[in-house]
Amino acid sequence: MVDRLAGWFATRGWTPFDFQLEVWRAYLAGENGMIHSATGTGKTLAAWMGPLGEWLLENPGTDGKKGHRNDAPGLRVLWITPLRALAADTELSLRLPLEELGVPWTVETRTGDTSQSLRKKQSERLPTTLITTPESFTLMLTRDDAEELFGELRCIVVDEWHELLSTKRGVQTELALARVRRLRPGVKTWGVSATLGNLEDASQTLQGVGAQARIVEGHIAKEIVIDSILPTNITRFPWSGHFGTSMIPPVIRSIEDGGTCLIFTNTRSQAEIWHQSILDNRPDWVDQIGLHHGSLDREVRDRVEADLKEGRLRAVVTTSSLDLGVDFSPVDRVLQLGTPKGVARLLQRAGRSGHRPGAASRVTCVPMHAFELVDIAAARTAAMNGRIENREHLSKPLDVLAQHVVSIAAGSGFRYEAMRDEVRTTVAYRDLTDEEWDWVLDFVVRGGDALRAYPEYRRVVVEDGVYRVTDKDIAKRHRMSIGTIMSDMAMTVQYVTGGRLGTVEESFLARLKPGDRFLFAGKALQFVRISDSTAWVKRAPNLKGAIPRWAGGRLPLSTELAHAIRQELECAKYGELRSSEMELMAPILAVQANWSAIPAEDEFLIEQLETNEGHHLFFYPFEGRLVHEGLAALFAYRISRIQPITFSMACNDYGFELLAPEEAPLAQAIQQGLISPENLIHDIPASLNAAEMAKRQFREIARIAGLVFQGYPGMHKTLKQVQATSGLFYDVFARYDPKNMLLQQADREVLEKQLEKSRLASALARLEGSTILITNPESPTPMAFPILVDRLRDTVTSENITQRIQKLSLKLEKEAG
Amino acid sequence: MALYWPSEGMLFIADVHLGKDASFQSAGIPVPLGPTSETLARLAELLHVVQPRRVVMLGDLWHAKEGRTDDLVSEFIAWREVHGEVEIILVEGNHDLKSGPLPEAARVIEVKEPHIVGPFALCHHPEACPDGYVLGGHIHPGVVLEGRGRQAVKLPCFWFGKQVAVLPAFGSFTGCGRVSPCEGDQVLIVCEGNVSPARIGG
Repeated sequence: MVDRLAGWFATRGWTPFDFQLEVWRAYLAGENGMIHSATGTGKTLAAWMGPLGEWLLENPGTDGKKGHRNDAPGLRVLWITPLRALAADTELSLRLPLEELGVPWTVETRTGDTSQSLRKKQSERLPTTLITTPESFTLMLTRDDAEELFGELRCIVVDEWHELLSTKRGVQTELALARVRRLRPGVKTWGVSATLGNLEDASQTLQGVGAQARIVEGHIAKEIVIDSILPTNITRFPWSGHFGTSMIPPVIRSIEDGGTCLIFTNTRSQAEIWHQSILDNRPDWVDQIGLHHGSLDREVRDRVEADLKEGRLRAVVTTSSLDLGVDFSPVDRVLQLGTPKGVARLLQRAGRSGHRPGAASRVTCVPMHAFELVDIAAARTAAMNGRIENREHLSKPLDVLAQHVVSIAAGSGFRYEAMRDEVRTTVAYRDLTDEEWDWVLDFVVRGGDALRAYPEYRRVVVEDGVYRVTDKDIAKRHRMSIGTIMSDMAMTVQYVTGGRLGTVEESFLARLKPGDRFLFAGKALQFVRISDSTAWVKRAPNLKGAIPRWAGGRLPLSTELAHAIRQELECAKYGELRSSEMELMAPILAVQANWSAIPAEDEFLIEQLETNEGHHLFFYPFEGRLVHEGLAALFAYRISRIQPITFSMACNDYGFELLAPEEAPLAQAIQQGLISPENLIHDIPASLNAAEMAKRQFREIARIAGLVFQGYPGMHKTLKQVQATSGLFYDVFARYDPKNMLLQQADREVLEKQLEKSRLASALARLEGSTILITNPESPTPMAFPILVDRLRDTVTSENITQRIQKLSLKLEKEAG
Repeated sequence: MALYWPSEGMLFIADVHLGKDASFQSAGIPVPLGPTSETLARLAELLHVVQPRRVVMLGDLWHAKEGRTDDLVSEFIAWREVHGEVEIILVEGNHDLKSGPLPEAARVIEVKEPHIVGPFALCHHPEACPDGYVLGGHIHPGVVLEGRGRQAVKLPCFWFGKQVAVLPAFGSFTGCGRVSPCEGDQVLIVCEGNVSPARIGG
């Protein structure tokens, strides 16, 4: 059979790669597996042909007729993809071999974007192959005929598993897979993953506890080149600010060089700004530069993807939304604007360029401010030494489990023990304790602890030992909420004349006044009004006075990259500049050394500074943003125990700042164990509480567990009565039900983010053993500046609020008219 | 969190939202009970301390029909009885409209907006009215105070404009919406049980 499949390849002038043959053989022998392969290298056909071959073996002598909806075999392959945007492309690739091989199958997609008419047809009869997202997959499980649905299923393919792996959607996928395996034992699971540090773990997590799988190494480029576009004269680009806009000419030259160019940015706002800047410079390119990111409407994105495939675009400015892609034609050039953030991600992006076997993959980094030069040099070094990030899987998030359990209850229903055992077959919940299982069931049936606190509540009911959702409205609202793991609190933006543009953060739109201008979807827009959960806009003639949107994007630097950066800086400190990026940094590093100091690997630099704004303390652990958020809260808390003081905190990947109106007792704090790993068991939870970090983390949990939900078009007005912010829920729980496990989960998730493998504790231990270097610069240094201008600040205080507001004041608007 | 008119012995309270916790529960959202009882306790204390002759609720006394459980209604009636001699008037708000008329035993006089008393137009929605200076609620006003060290704190407030005054929401488990007062307006901050004028800064 494998030869026959290879034969089909030959008719198209292709030769199958060795890894493809290996996958097909393994599949036909009944194995599960993981295909380790980059985008655009034949992974789709590698995963697809096995099931086709299987069908051909079972149905010899077909007449090669085309499959029609009502005659085609029932569901045999489920293809899970993380992004709806990818589904359409995947569909095209999958259809390709069907007719020619004489396999009368149908292929359809089912996502949030699927039309009503197709949904109806699918609810009556499923196609042979269904391409769907984890959310839509979970929704299928809410049907009471779920068991029949999967009666003929042979194979589940999970695409881009590395993207799902360390997220709640990945856990959602694990749970859904566990259910399907119960309903249909013997179904085979094949995953496709890009490069990860821990592929074995990734594979096991996909297959479930105890299952076996083979890892097949696909076509990974042998040589990867990471180069950069350097500013010609660094002294003309002040480190106090971004030199982004001065990098526009070289970026434009890269595009002029010809071919298609993918330009990656780290945030959606940056993508918008760069798209606009390129067009401002080259208005003649107006239909040739595309813009792509997750907040844009599907139609807008589809157009860009189609144009890209057909070579109509010179360049696309995009966020990680184009990181995942089917095997569409490789691009000629890949640019990374701003720090790469992680080595694996950079390598994956490099892999998008030039796919001729044996050809090198190349990514060109473009720094946006001075210190990113260090990031780039460090990323190259780390890549060359194979130091690539692992993706850790989450450990038993109870909010996702609660959501899943309600989904099954809304479908066929479940029994206590059987469901618990099923859930424990997933890697995420293999260590679920009985207590935790009881709490989740209690939560969905009674709303939590203590009957006294929740008498009116009902979601899941127990009838004869079977857990079910009997109320149709509750079932309906649950189905609507299943997509919430993915969505931001965002509002649709639409022209008053009708066309939809995409979604924008609600918090930004809520602040706009009629007439305010802003940039979105590559257009200058003017805000008209908000109604029906939509922000209505019209075209603005230009962007004069436009309100800037936040550069959201809080993706942290990986540990590997942070470590590599410390090493580069140490080399620089001792005069060893090992790359052109670092050589270019020399004048800036000189400023840093003169005004303050460059830390060696075993030095912990702390800068004290006073400005009009107050007294600043800058700490530089170089451990990545997430750890810094924890350290900042910890230090702020510990210092505030010494005297009443209020700090506002800001962090970036290099360090963090504590800012207060008055000077903080730093020396005393250090003496009293500021940097000590002792007492962490008490101090960390106390500091995270003080910084209200759990409350922020709770936002996501509240959405997933079904406490808050966004409106949807046509929603019944009475539902608005039960909308409340997660902050309000948090306060209510904290006051009236403090043992609530969702609160504890919020605490735990904050801790886990900062404490992944006790990273915070080990960072602290390393810092304690370092030489502490305190400097007193007169002005913010090159290292301080990026933190100083960061707008997102948390607060930790040991002052009473009445005391605090004595020093604060209200700014009044000018009178209108 | 309330406004008192001494010469008339009249107390104004906005947005109490009784039963919001229970109405969430009946929709399948697990909010613990507690806020409603706490709100009633605070109302009881307020009436005890101020001893008004009349209380005017500026709308949204009950959150929703689903939240009017027997238990909570009994608690409400019990609270009412303690101050049986005080007259209670409710200016109809959007939530009251949907919750439906109150039980007789509550002895609350329900009126529509604007309800004119002296120079004041008592409303739920804080929109200007030609017949008087408006006292209203509905938006649950709050302001953000800022200061050195990039600090910012959001607190509920009383907002007195030229034609309209907006009272803060009285109920526990109510949110707070940020408002932007103009020059010439008066803003009083509510903080830890105290009311004080906001310091105005540049």
